[in-house]
Amino acid sequence: MIEALGISLKVLAVDVPLLLLAGTALGWLFARRRFPGREALLLIVQLPVALPPSVLGLYLLLLVGRVPVLRSLGLLFSFPGAALAALLPALPIMVQAARSGFLSVSPALEEAARTLGDPEWRVFRRVTLPLARRPLVAGLSLATARALGDFGVTLMVAGNIPGRTQTLPLYIYSRIEALEFGRANLAAALLVAVGVASLLLVKRMEGGRREPLV
Amino acid sequence: MSPWCEASLEHRLGEFHLQVELALDREVGVLFGPSGAGKSLTLRILAGLVNPRRGEIRLAGRELLRLPGGVNVPAHSRRIGLVHQHLALFPHLTVLENVAYGLHDSKRERRAREWLGRMRLEGLEARYPGQLSGGQQQRVALARALAPEPELLLLDEPFSALDSPLRRSLRRELKLLQRDTGVPVFYVTHHVEDLCALGQRVFFLREGRLAGSATPEQLWAPQSPASAWAALGWGTVITGVVEHRDGVARLKWADGALHLDSPAAVAGAATAFVAPQAVKVLYPDIPVDPDLAVNAMEGTVLERYQVGASCTLHVAAAGVNWHLEFPWHSYRDVELEEGAAVRISVLPRFVEVARAGDSGEGQS
Repeated sequence: MIEALGISLKVLAVDVPLLLLAGTALGWLFARRRFPGREALLLIVQLPVALPPSVLGLYLLLLVGRVPVLRSLGLLFSFPGAALAALLPALPIMVQAARSGFLSVSPALEEAARTLGDPEWRVFRRVTLPLARRPLVAGLSLATARALGDFGVTLMVAGNIPGRTQTLPLYIYSRIEALEFGRANLAAALLVAVGVASLLLVKRMEGGRREPLV
Repeated sequence: MSPWCEASLEHRLGEFHLQVELALDREVGVLFGPSGAGKSLTLRILAGLVNPRRGEIRLAGRELLRLPGGVNVPAHSRRIGLVHQHLALFPHLTVLENVAYGLHDSKRERRAREWLGRMRLEGLEARYPGQLSGGQQQRVALARALAPEPELLLLDEPFSALDSPLRRSLRRELKLLQRDTGVPVFYVTHHVEDLCALGQRVFFLREGRLAGSATPEQLWAPQSPASAWAALGWGTVITGVVEHRDGVARLKWADGALHLDSPAAVAGAATAFVAPQAVKVLYPDIPVDPDLAVNAMEGTVLERYQVGASCTLHVAAAGVNWHLEFPWHSYRDVELEEGAAVRISVLPRFVEVARAGDSGEGQS
């Protein structure tokens, strides 16, 4: 189990920063900018959350297996493949949270910051980001739980290779297949604890005041 | 010598077409006009928050905008302060952090504290905007905008949400601040009282155009009040005398009188303004609100026309040509054809009195 836990943590170590950066950037883009193809891009980004993991896994498998450039990256049945598989269904959760977080920041506040001498990046750092921080943290927490819990997409793209791509959810599946319920239960309890913790964090972010995080 | 601030702006927003030219020295210029006249849009273009189709802005010898021509200094480099109608105080920052927001040197905290002292906000440094009263929030917003020493201050109806006594005291503070700092101010309002109390120059805006500009003295000069207001072509101006009888203040003129809602109005020659939305048509068969009944007048419809969803009516009553505006669907059951007899009235609190030649200080 320690091995599977290690792989799961490695997946998170790669995916959490990516979720934070890409999710925040895309969420800001969809909240604050109008550009050609915006609706189509939004649909594509949000689609993974609405698709069954097997369908998403199938298309991802075809994409990284058949497109020569992607194929040469060697993503199939490898750790990078597992990280990508966990990332995709989690990203829409982060994008959606970031988008509604940024939409909740009044543009008048950003305008005030501009007239007080801040260029765009400083407006973002001093006003937009701090005011959207709670929804961002809540979104990141849920997206992380989703990435940690991915089963179907990872199985399709990265397989279930112990020591390489076997994450905790896949480990549970393998233990049940081997009728080792004790180990399966232990791993499941760990995932339940992470799920509960992430929901508690979301609750705290949603219920708290708008004033600084303690 | 060219004025401190000169602007010539043209912009289209859907059907709306803005075309104004403004010039201001180190004084308070009031942008006055009905809502939808383009006052706020003008401020937003000046501040650099909206890019106009074409225009030029010069401020303190600097060229901030020349379109076409490719000069467009971004908002953050314009050194133009803006106090938004809803103040836009940063809710996640304390009062001190709000005021220090636009300051970037090593003395920023000291300077922010100086401004707090100046605005009588000592002791509130650590509070958040949500923990302040309306008047305190206004003062924080003013301090925040003035602390970086802007070369022009724009105020977009910042006092509109406050009741009269607080408005008056904030207006006085603003006037003193302007005198001390010398920062020129554009102040947007549709309240005549603000205009009289603050303005050293008044720009009338109507449907996106500059309908005229005047000094308040010219505006209220007893000999020609009508001509200055005719430039605006909006609202009703009455010249008369304020009298007090039985504890009631009234404005009297040759052919009529109106009850006023300001017991403190100074007796003597006066000019009053009534906004077109404040004049109501009275239904013939329906009991009238007692406040309206005291000012009811019989009149005749002189002219009636509709612009978009708004109806305009000119009514001759008590020797005055009254200007009324209302949504097109109002008063559909009342005969309002030209020449028809009609009863109109205005609530005492909507008769805005300014004494001739008065700067407005006397009312406070």
